[in-house]
Amino acid sequence: MTSARALLRLGLRGLLQHKLRSTLSILGVVFGVAAVVAMSSVGEGARREAVAQIGALGIDSITLRVRPAADRGPAPGLSLRDAETVRRVVPGVVAVAPLREAPLPAAGEGRFEDAVVVGTTPAYREAARLSLSAGRFLTDLDLADGKRVAVLGAALADALFPMGDALGQRIQVGSDWFDVVGVLEARGLARGKSGPIRTRDVNRAIIVPLPALDRGGDPRPEGVDEIVLRVAEADQVARAAEVAQRAVERSSGGAALEVVVPREILRQKERTQRIFNVVTGAVAFIGLLVGGIGIMNIMLASVAERTREVGIRRALGATRTDVAAQFLAESSLLTAVGGLAGAVAGLLGSALIQRWAEWPTAISPLMLLVSIVMALVVGIGFGLYPAWRAAHLEPMEALRN
Amino acid sequence: MPAAAESAPLLELRAVAKTYARGGASVAALREIDLSVGRGEWVAVTGPSGSGKSTLLSILGLLDRPTGGEYLLDGERAALLDDRTASRLRNRSVGFVFQSFHLIAELSVLENVETPLLYGGVPEREWRERARRCLERVGLSHRADHRPAELSGGEAQRAAVARALVCEPALLLADEPTGNLDTVTGVQIAALLEALNAEGRTVVLVTHNEALAARSPRVVRLVDGRVVADERRA
Repeated sequence: MTSARALLRLGLRGLLQHKLRSTLSILGVVFGVAAVVAMSSVGEGARREAVAQIGALGIDSITLRVRPAADRGPAPGLSLRDAETVRRVVPGVVAVAPLREAPLPAAGEGRFEDAVVVGTTPAYREAARLSLSAGRFLTDLDLADGKRVAVLGAALADALFPMGDALGQRIQVGSDWFDVVGVLEARGLARGKSGPIRTRDVNRAIIVPLPALDRGGDPRPEGVDEIVLRVAEADQVARAAEVAQRAVERSSGGAALEVVVPREILRQKERTQRIFNVVTGAVAFIGLLVGGIGIMNIMLASVAERTREVGIRRALGATRTDVAAQFLAESSLLTAVGGLAGAVAGLLGSALIQRWAEWPTAISPLMLLVSIVMALVVGIGFGLYPAWRAAHLEPMEALRN
Repeated sequence: MPAAAESAPLLELRAVAKTYARGGASVAALREIDLSVGRGEWVAVTGPSGSGKSTLLSILGLLDRPTGGEYLLDGERAALLDDRTASRLRNRSVGFVFQSFHLIAELSVLENVETPLLYGGVPEREWRERARRCLERVGLSHRADHRPAELSGGEAQRAAVARALVCEPALLLADEPTGNLDTVTGVQIAALLEALNAEGRTVVLVTHNEALAARSPRVVRLVDGRVVADERRA
């Protein structure tokens, strides 16, 4: 048997003899692999975005919200009592926080920023998995006294106090003044416009005690917009959501609730993702099939026009295997180059999609590897028959060619 | 030239036949060939075209298999050899020289001569040296880096002889080696082959060339796939 190096050299020489033909013949593989890489990057980008979004909400969290009434009349709404009910009846619940929110302008050190003001209880920290970078969170005492204290989201703190520490400063929210007692740690948020999940950007939030949030002219000053809860184990969320929904709907007199369960949404997204992957895979498969047929075509031509060479090599001592290996090396090399070129084109395509279509894309190294390996498999697979043909040429016939 | 009768013959054919199936009809190219060639012999095979000379040569060189009878190369039964063994024997024990040279057009002369070493599993670092030695031997060192298309007919045949020699085979099989050459060049190639024969290599050559046949110590004449004459001259 001949060495792999010598075989590759032979293959390379064969390809370089027909540069244009070789280039054209691998275009199918190039486009096939490029399509796989680019499309999977879109899928992967969507998946990562979903995971990030859900990560921001918490895989073990549930949000209850009143579905906005169609006639825009005063909705029955949630109350503090509902939050208490949830805390009592939901199995495995760790923390429950009622929430009111209002978009209000905030001012500090002469700077103005739009902020989302969230009135809640100390339990929110636990329910939403917030961590502090400075100061403290709300306390029960703040709540009881309705103190005007605030915890700022990281981005907002930076925006309002670019020169230094926000802690201990006073900010104006709406018409009231608040003391900044804490700053949250920055939290990575999903890029792009989120789909079915409304994620609250805690980085730009001002968190204040529930009674201290004055929305002015509020028809239900005691009402609550949202109840956020967390359960101990992620696999309890489905059951917990069900129980919470039933309990709250009963106690609030038949209000239509919107229950957001990030874990369920993630599952749904994964299901959609799977369909997308199957479609992508099918398209990729067809692309590679076409590419493979191109390879087979060119290899058959190569075998046909090198019949005499095959006869010569056989006369000089090449075994059938040697001959087959020579042509296989050629087709593998061809598709390896095509696969690499396709991978590069796919990466480029992925970058362009992100740039122009503004879809989030992400390259999974595994996918990159898989697509190149697939190209190689195609090269070897579709090179087998031409190589077999070459190997089984009758040497004497071949020499007469 | 002495026939080495003291040891077993290098080539031995017993009732070798070869039939081709051509569109339902079978065509007999060789019938009942009995032939034995000793080590170091020089045998010219002559006969009209279609008499089976080339078929005989390809069977001798293990490029083709007989459909009947038995062929022993150096004591090995050709019919029992698998592709690997047959290929190895072709590589190590047989050197081919063809009428139309059969050099690989894309390779340089040197690379053409190196090609058998690739299949002989010779380490690559020895290739250059061995190929150069063979080119020197046939007087073609100055053409090592040329392409076959740039050579004259005589030079191309020398290159082919160098390639046949590179694995030091015991047997040289030449199919009309002078057929595409002018008389002077043909004589030069014949002289080259004779010199190789004088070194102890067995040479079997197929030829139409009466002059070349006349120079041969042994002439086997084929007609219609049969040996009709096997003459030795002192």
